[in-house]
Amino acid sequence: MIAWWQIILLTLYAGFQIMDELHWYSSAGSAVFSGFITGLIMGDMATGLYIGGSMQLTILGVGTFGGASRIDANSGTLIATAFAVSSGMDPEQALAVLGVPVAAILVYTDIAGRFANTFFGHMCDADVEKMNWGAYNVHYWLGAVSWMLSRMLPVFLALAFGQPVVEAITAALNGDFAWLGAGLTVAGGALPAVGFAILLRYLPVKKHIAYLILGFVIAALLGTLFTNVAGVAGDVATAAAATETAINGGDYNSLSMLTIALIGFALAYIYYVQNKAQAAAPAAAAAVEGDDDDEL
Amino acid sequence: MSSNEKLLPNGTTGYKLTKEDFAQINRRNLIGFQAGWNYERMQHSGYLWIILPQLRKIYGDNTEGLKTAARTHCAPFFNTSNFLNTIITGIDLAIEEEEGLQSLETVASLKTGLMGPLASIGDSIFGSLLPTIFGALAANMAIAGNPLGIFIWIAVNIVVDWFRCKQTHIAYDQGMKLVTTMSDQLNAITDAATVMGVFMVGALVSTNVGIVISAPIDLGGVTVDLQHICNMICPKLVPAALVGAVYWLLGRKGMTSTKAIFIVLIVAIVLGGLGWIAKG
Repeated sequence: MIAWWQIILLTLYAGFQIMDELHWYSSAGSAVFSGFITGLIMGDMATGLYIGGSMQLTILGVGTFGGASRIDANSGTLIATAFAVSSGMDPEQALAVLGVPVAAILVYTDIAGRFANTFFGHMCDADVEKMNWGAYNVHYWLGAVSWMLSRMLPVFLALAFGQPVVEAITAALNGDFAWLGAGLTVAGGALPAVGFAILLRYLPVKKHIAYLILGFVIAALLGTLFTNVAGVAGDVATAAAATETAINGGDYNSLSMLTIALIGFALAYIYYVQNKAQAAAPAAAAAVEGDDDDEL
Repeated sequence: MSSNEKLLPNGTTGYKLTKEDFAQINRRNLIGFQAGWNYERMQHSGYLWIILPQLRKIYGDNTEGLKTAARTHCAPFFNTSNFLNTIITGIDLAIEEEEGLQSLETVASLKTGLMGPLASIGDSIFGSLLPTIFGALAANMAIAGNPLGIFIWIAVNIVVDWFRCKQTHIAYDQGMKLVTTMSDQLNAITDAATVMGVFMVGALVSTNVGIVISAPIDLGGVTVDLQHICNMICPKLVPAALVGAVYWLLGRKGMTSTKAIFIVLIVAIVLGGLGWIAKG
């Protein structure tokens, strides 16, 4: 069960995160943070981080351009994490069966919120004509209320009344529909592919194809190597323990993404410095693909 | 700031913006610039809201000039990157403070002219590249159970917010000159940052798309391990193929990102349910 105080905290966070995303943008309005905080509130950070991280990758590059409504990954993560913890649902399954559908449905409350603000916009116009600035402030901030309610209402309703539904789903997935559960688990692993593909649609892939290949191959080779070495190290340790032999071995972790990012940064830096040198030469002019800065 | 204050011929009180004014603008910008966002005119009321106290000082309270200026800002459509909007604000206020009511036409066309280009620069750097690089890093570490990446992202965003406050002053001081110099600089940085973005996507495809082929293929008594064959060609070939397929799918007419997510979801559930592919 989800306790009442957890429902209140999560509902408050749902309102906070959209304001964060619209304004000061601390990253608290991201799916991965949503998973993190929901996990903390529910008392299972690892599950929250897993669902939030997977959702974040799924929506990388989705609708960051110009005011379009996009799937509400933050609320989807919140609901999926809360119920994964409270019903003991498998995180991958929660992501696929709860997170994504909830995120997609909540597009409509987002649209409703943005639509409601149109009326407040007209009230602001009227306040300007009357030069009633106190009223302007109020009508302007009613916009924030509809933004927050567009998240808080559905999240609250889902958390307060969704438990029986989710428990029924969990029971079915562990029982008669185990094959579907297996499929959902696979889907959880496959979803980030969409995020990457969407992102590649926005990035100048053709121009930078060499870096795409480098990134993929470096991480694919090192990742496989690290995983296998960690596996071997584990086996060796087990064998050594069985024969009571002391062995000298390092601490093998999985591939650190930060180090891969640093390689990427180094390449970008080299690219930047070389481009700058070229741009300094009078003839050379570098232009970013798709940027219409000639309007300036 | 009473309505009886003497106005200069240009309709202003001659007020010059102070440090506190900029602090107030930045505060309002970071707290509520998009609170009034709506489908019809998007950030129109927000643009006015963050500079309203300063307009009241510049034109004097309850003057006809103030009403005209406020209407000029609130009435028309406005939408730009919420990371770079205060550049327009800074340039705008420098002009209005100097030239008053006569400048409003210039200011209106300046807003319309700048919002598009700034939106494209801001969206690509702050709306897309930074979330890609740091969001992906945070997500990757989170999946492994480590929240550290989230805090790295927060630290980066604090720097971004500092920059957002700084640019208001700079734009006010330098005016249009800033936009030209900055756009060259930013273009170079954006271009280099896309290199890192593309590289990261490549790396993430191999580490974070977790599927392998598990279809049992029986060729006259000999079982063929397709995944083993793929691994011999290149590790993580299946994830790369999947991303390639979705990339192709997204290029088709009428395809949206939400549709693509559901197509992958359903195909993965079916193939996973049949046991042809597995999480790996």
